[in-house]
Amino acid sequence: MSPSDDRDKPARGEISAADREAFKRRTAELDGKLRKARLDDASATSKKRAADNGSANGREMGRALRLSTELVGGIVVGVGLGILFDKLFGTWPLLFILFFLLGAAAGMLNLIRSAMTIKTGPSDPSKGPAVPDDEDDDR
Amino acid sequence: MAAGDSPIKQFEIKEYFPIEVFGLNASFTNSSLYMVIAVSLISLFLILAMGGRSLVPTRLQSVAELIYEFVRDTVRENVGPNGMQFFPLVFSLFIFVLVLNLLGMIPIPGVTFTVTSHLAVTAAMALLVIGIVIVYGFYKHGLGFLSLFVPSGVPGWLLPLMVVIEVISFISRPVSLSVRLFANMLAGHIALKIFASFVGLMLGAGIFGILLAPLPLLLTVALTALEVLVAVLQAYVFAVLTCIYLNDAVEGGHH
Repeated sequence: MSPSDDRDKPARGEISAADREAFKRRTAELDGKLRKARLDDASATSKKRAADNGSANGREMGRALRLSTELVGGIVVGVGLGILFDKLFGTWPLLFILFFLLGAAAGMLNLIRSAMTIKTGPSDPSKGPAVPDDEDDDR
Repeated sequence: MAAGDSPIKQFEIKEYFPIEVFGLNASFTNSSLYMVIAVSLISLFLILAMGGRSLVPTRLQSVAELIYEFVRDTVRENVGPNGMQFFPLVFSLFIFVLVLNLLGMIPIPGVTFTVTSHLAVTAAMALLVIGIVIVYGFYKHGLGFLSLFVPSGVPGWLLPLMVVIEVISFISRPVSLSVRLFANMLAGHIALKIFASFVGLMLGAGIFGILLAPLPLLLTVALTALEVLVAVLQAYVFAVLTCIYLNDAVEGGHH
C-alpha cells in the first residue's frame, strides 16, 4: 500500500531527500521479503513434489519386490503337482520331470506378467526401471 | 543376551490356555494373543479416530483418512471401479498385516512374536483371497470364468500346453502370496537377531572384540530401519496382489 502512495507523491511536488532515502530502503526491504517468500514457496512445492515422488517410488518398489517369489512359486507348485500325480499313477519320475518344467514355465509367465505391469503401470511409466534399491529381491 | 539363544527361538508358539476342539489343538497361544492385540488396537484406533467425524479432521482422524484413501486408491487402481465391494476385504487384510508386522518390531523380551512370520497364518489369508476369487469368479461369470486359463492369440496346437501352464500359474498365486510375506518377516527377524547377538558375543571376546562390537550394533540399528520399511512394504504388496487377483474375478480373465 504505502509504496504506491509514495510513488504518487513526486508527481505532485518535491519530497525531501530523507523521505526518498526511506522510500528506497522500504522498497528494497519489500523486494527482499518478496524474493524470500517466492523462494520459500518454490522450495515448499519442490519438497512436496519430492514427497510425491517418494510415495511413487514406494509403489514401484512394492511392484519390484513382488517379482522375487513369482518364479519360486511356479516351480514349487509344479514340483508338488508332479509328485502328487506320480503317486496317484505310479509313474515316478516322469510326471515329476514334466511338471517341474511346466512349473518353471508358469513361474516365468508370472514373472513376465508382473514385469509388464511395472512397465505399463498406471503411475508414471518412466519410473519403472529406476527403482533405487531392489537388492532386497533375493530375500 | 544369552549366547545360547537360538535365533529362531523367537518364532516358538507358546500355549497359554490349552483348548481342544474335536481332537484338534485350538489352544490360545501367543500367536492368538498377538492377533487379539492387533484387532483391538485397530478397532480402538479407528473408533477413536473417526468418533469425532469433524469436517476439519483432527490429527488422528487424518491418519485414519489417509489410510482409508490409500487403500481406496489401491483398490480402484488395481481392481477397477467395479471392484469397490472388495474394499472392506482389502482394507481389513492390509491393516491387519500391517499392524501385525509392526507389532513384531516392538521388542518385549520373551513375549515379542511376529504372527506373519508363520506360514500357517499367511497361507490362511492367501487361501481366503484365492477362495474369494474362485467363488466370485464363478458366481459372476459362470463357466466363462474358466476362459481365464485360455490365453488369447495362441496357436491351436500349443493350447493344451498353455492351459496347463496357466493352471499351474494360477495355483502358484496363493503360494507365492503367502511365502513372500512369511519369508520376508522370518528372514528379517532372524537377521536382526543374529546381528544383535554378535554384539554380545564380541563383547565377551577380548579387547579386539570390544573394539569391533559397535559395528554389528550399527548394522542392527540400520537393519531395524530396513525391517520397518519391509513390514510396511510387505503389507502393501499383500494388498496390491490381493487387488490384482480380485481383478481377474471381476473382469473375468481378459489379460
